[in-house]
Amino acid sequence: MKFVAVIRQVPDSESRLKIDAGRVDLSSATLILDQMDEYAVEEVIRLQEKHGGESVIVALGPERFEEAVRTALAMGADRAIHLVQEGYLDPITQAEALAEALRAEAPDVVLTGGQQADWDSQALGPAIAEALGWPVVTWTTALELEDGQARAKHDLDEGAEVVRVSLPAVFTTQQGLNEPRYPTLPGIMKAKKKEIRKIPISAASKVEVLEQSIQERSRLGKVLDGTKDPHAAASELIRLLHEEAKVI
Amino acid sequence: MVTTSSGTQMLDYLGLSELFTPEEREIQRSSRRFLDDVALPYIGQWWEEGSFPTHLIRRFGEMGFLGPTIPAEYGGAGVSSAAYGLIAYELERVDSGLRSFCSVQSSLVMYPIYAFGSEEQKREYLPKLATGELVGCFGLTEPDGGSDPDGNMKTRARKDGDGYVLTGTKMWITNGNLAHIAIVWAKDDGGVVRGFIVPTDTPGFKANEVRHKASLRASVTSELVLEDVRVPASAVLPGVKGLKGPLSCLTQARFGIAWGALGALEAVYTEALAFSQTRTTFGKPIGSRQLVQEKLVRMLSDHTKGLLVAWRLAQLKDAGKLRPQQVSLGKRDNVRAALNAARSAREILGGSGITLEYHSIRHMLNLETVDTYEGTHDIHTLILGRDITGLNALE
Repeated sequence: MKFVAVIRQVPDSESRLKIDAGRVDLSSATLILDQMDEYAVEEVIRLQEKHGGESVIVALGPERFEEAVRTALAMGADRAIHLVQEGYLDPITQAEALAEALRAEAPDVVLTGGQQADWDSQALGPAIAEALGWPVVTWTTALELEDGQARAKHDLDEGAEVVRVSLPAVFTTQQGLNEPRYPTLPGIMKAKKKEIRKIPISAASKVEVLEQSIQERSRLGKVLDGTKDPHAAASELIRLLHEEAKVI
Repeated sequence: MVTTSSGTQMLDYLGLSELFTPEEREIQRSSRRFLDDVALPYIGQWWEEGSFPTHLIRRFGEMGFLGPTIPAEYGGAGVSSAAYGLIAYELERVDSGLRSFCSVQSSLVMYPIYAFGSEEQKREYLPKLATGELVGCFGLTEPDGGSDPDGNMKTRARKDGDGYVLTGTKMWITNGNLAHIAIVWAKDDGGVVRGFIVPTDTPGFKANEVRHKASLRASVTSELVLEDVRVPASAVLPGVKGLKGPLSCLTQARFGIAWGALGALEAVYTEALAFSQTRTTFGKPIGSRQLVQEKLVRMLSDHTKGLLVAWRLAQLKDAGKLRPQQVSLGKRDNVRAALNAARSAREILGGSGITLEYHSIRHMLNLETVDTYEGTHDIHTLILGRDITGLNALE
């Protein structure tokens, strides 16, 4: 069987991003394998360990994505295909380009992150399934393969359901699907020699980004000193929560 | 330009990580993530209890932290010296005790077996030391003093039939009570220093744990007592005679310490910086005060220069051009810089700085040991003094 994880490289959530001339400036950000995609990588490795076959990483993004691809290979995936294009592509256009590569690979299972940390978008997985004409299960928390079908548990808005789905199919990840392994030193050294097939592409984005800004999250930063008169501080806190924050 | 650490990003004011290979960067990130999950949240407690986290030994082995530069055929990961340095950095960012464990296993036990051992010794011990199935310790220093290992060495290896009988006492031995094997340095009948691989369950071998430490509390320190410990001739490390054997091991370990100390420096700097931005006095954050800024800048400056030194040492080491005196410079300066930074950080933290809720005082106390072991600050000063003047102050 063949298992594919579609991955992306995103800024570390703890990185401090800057805006330069209306664009997010990534130069001082740490770029990492998207943590939601990390569950996908872990899952394809586990599926391969259980069912045999091959685990393949597929990525679409600029040249810099290679470092994230290497991380996925260091975790244990066999090889990678990197569709290389600089600049922004909307998820639908990405999915169309990825679908072409995926069709050629003909995997049984495709996994990708339930959410893309940089766009805060959940579109990529379903869009890939749409482009391939395959079924999709979103927010997957458990995945078992049996007799050419998959049995998956996935989260809904206010609950969960277990589904049986024919393969090939696309699954998007949810926290709890697994616990991703750390790339080990031997794994990192082996990954250096694994194949990354680079395919330059030139897809035309359907969406053009004109300007970006970062939401300012400023706090009121009101600090009450409870060391001198805790009773008065507690009363003041209740008054503020009631009258100003209006939460009680 | 990275002025503080965040996520898996190390403190790196001059963007030095651009000089690392992609594998070295990956190793740094992965090590930090692993250690932030399994060690950092608990280290204060381990330190306070005076316990070393033995459950992590196998995890260190899985990660490849034990003997990382040893070739894969002997169970190592075959990584570069800078990668080894980055592992030391990440371990010591958590605690000098964790780094000490790995330094001893990698540089003082696996290295001499790899460099001076017979093929049989390498095959027997290295793979098990790499997984953490076996733990080793290194016995050079004796109770009468560590700075003159030749003059103070009373441990003897008397030839007896086909084997040797070892008698003597070793002191301040990291991992002593955890170890399955000890690399023991002793003088033979001709007064020549030889190295022996001694299983610690050999009759006559005893390890006594050093208690009441106010430093390196998350690390096992022991006295080794050898009373007529009989070992076969096959226990001798055949590849080296004389003090250069143990000293070459120490050069390996000191190289790692030159990196490791900067991890501790990053930890205390980051903690002090964050504290200075939130703690307010007289209506302003203390980070706005000149006296505090000067301390923070000195820490950042020392870290930045120290990292350049450490990186250059790694390049020289991989090129086979590294001189022990150059390692002395890195160990001496980076550890003292980290110790000074920890003291400053403790001061910036004020009253909070005296508790183990914060990391700085733990690093400060640990670094007193790191400044002393593996060649004291003053001894390294005199090694460098001898190197530049040609005049020996060590005799």
